[in-house]
Amino acid sequence: MARMNGNGADEWEGGGSLPPAAASVALDRVGKTYSADGDPVRALDDVSFSVADGEFVCLVGPSGCGKTTLFRIVAGLTEATDGRVLLDGTEVTGPTTDMGVVFQEYHLFPWLTVAENVGFGLERSDRSPDERERRVDEMLGLVGLTEFRDAYPKSLSGGMKQRVAIARALAVDPDLLLMDEPFGAVDAQTREMLQRELLDVWASTGKTVLFVTHDVAEAVTLADRIVVMAADPGRVREVVDVDVGRPRERGDAAFAEYVGRVRELIGAGP
Amino acid sequence: MATETGSELDGDAAVAVGLGDPRRLLRGALGVAGFLAVWYVVALGSPAYVVPSPVAVAEAFASELASGDMTAALFQSVRHWIPGTVVGTALGVGAGVALGWSRLLDDLTAPLVRTLRPVPPLALIGFAIAWFGINDWGAAFIIAVGAFWINFYAAYGAVEGVSEDLLDVGRTLGVRGDLDAVRSIVLPAATPGIMTGIRTGLGRCWMLVVASEIFGVPGVGREIIRASNNLRVDQAIAYILVLSLMYLLVDVAFRAVERRVLVWRA
Repeated sequence: MARMNGNGADEWEGGGSLPPAAASVALDRVGKTYSADGDPVRALDDVSFSVADGEFVCLVGPSGCGKTTLFRIVAGLTEATDGRVLLDGTEVTGPTTDMGVVFQEYHLFPWLTVAENVGFGLERSDRSPDERERRVDEMLGLVGLTEFRDAYPKSLSGGMKQRVAIARALAVDPDLLLMDEPFGAVDAQTREMLQRELLDVWASTGKTVLFVTHDVAEAVTLADRIVVMAADPGRVREVVDVDVGRPRERGDAAFAEYVGRVRELIGAGP
Repeated sequence: MATETGSELDGDAAVAVGLGDPRRLLRGALGVAGFLAVWYVVALGSPAYVVPSPVAVAEAFASELASGDMTAALFQSVRHWIPGTVVGTALGVGAGVALGWSRLLDDLTAPLVRTLRPVPPLALIGFAIAWFGINDWGAAFIIAVGAFWINFYAAYGAVEGVSEDLLDVGRTLGVRGDLDAVRSIVLPAATPGIMTGIRTGLGRCWMLVVASEIFGVPGVGREIIRASNNLRVDQAIAYILVLSLMYLLVDVAFRAVERRVLVWRA
């Protein structure tokens, strides 16, 4: 997986038209209205953008802009009231193992060991037991947790738990890695380490990544493109191409410029 | 990903405290000795049919044990304690999991459950006699009713408390349908709560042994009632001790099982 800047998907900037067929994920005028005390509340309105095959896209926005609702809609865990989500051209109607989903709070199965957590999705696949075992070992190696394969989640640190969650999501070999503020619950130092590791995993697996975060510097560190959302109702304000080579240094002038620009977009009123 | 460091591991979670600690054992022994001393002094000024001395109780215990009456009564009680506890626990856990998981079943049965819940097992003695007769099965029925409700509510609450997030994770990893979700996520996640219910139920069932024998089924409870009627308080206390010992034995055994099953718990 190489740097994906300047691929075909960049030409499609989230208008109302249908996305190009190569796109791994496409959101097509997604909207969500829910009722609070009987009054309809528009949480998301006309959200359209696409993520190309192998691309790393971050979704940022002010709190309350519906990032997590959008994440759940893409994952098939929440139904949209309007529009649709396409995964490789097929409409998402419910959770699918074609997506590996990683949540902020890890949500490991506490009664399973690290290896059993990673192998959870594989048990429902048609792989043979031998294949499953090999796949689990491979994933544990990828996230550097081989020696903790028989540990229970209770004895792991936050950073290690999130590595297990990432390995568990990747084990079933999904086309898309969908992450909701996955590094929001760990300390700053661990977060930067996990960010580097995630970029390594992305480079070595070639997965498409859609990554929700409220941390602008994190988005600029990771993303090929940043989808900036606005609140009330949640919608796409702008899609920013991050035209900086990797590895990206936070001290660089270009990095700071992107951070400033995205912050400005988020800060601008409705 | 990067190499892992051992320092990220939390230290060994809480080194076992409790039974292994000699200071706590000593304090417990002191408490028992103090209680026996007070009991002894109080018994000195009371007739044996009001407060028998601890020595008289020990003698009654020894003689009942030597005569074989005590072991006979214990085996009789065990013969309905076991089926009553097993059946009541199994049905209670099963119903609790099913109703805790399925909104439909819960709605269908809610009025019935709320009507039956306040009925004490003792009030069902008439039904026990009518349906099963004055025998082990009648007594087992009373015990089963007690075990059922404790386990029903423990399992129901445990299943209701299963994190939606874990279920979401499961769905994204291919869990499909109620059976798969219950088997692979709901049951393991609810196991700690279910185990607590089973343990509470095991103790409660020993208490119910007395109630279940009130209508004439032989056993430890019957012996307590008989001794009380004869004003043999020393014998009554000796048989109460049997119940306590059985409860203690079962509880210790169950705790050991629980520790093994819940080894993953923090």
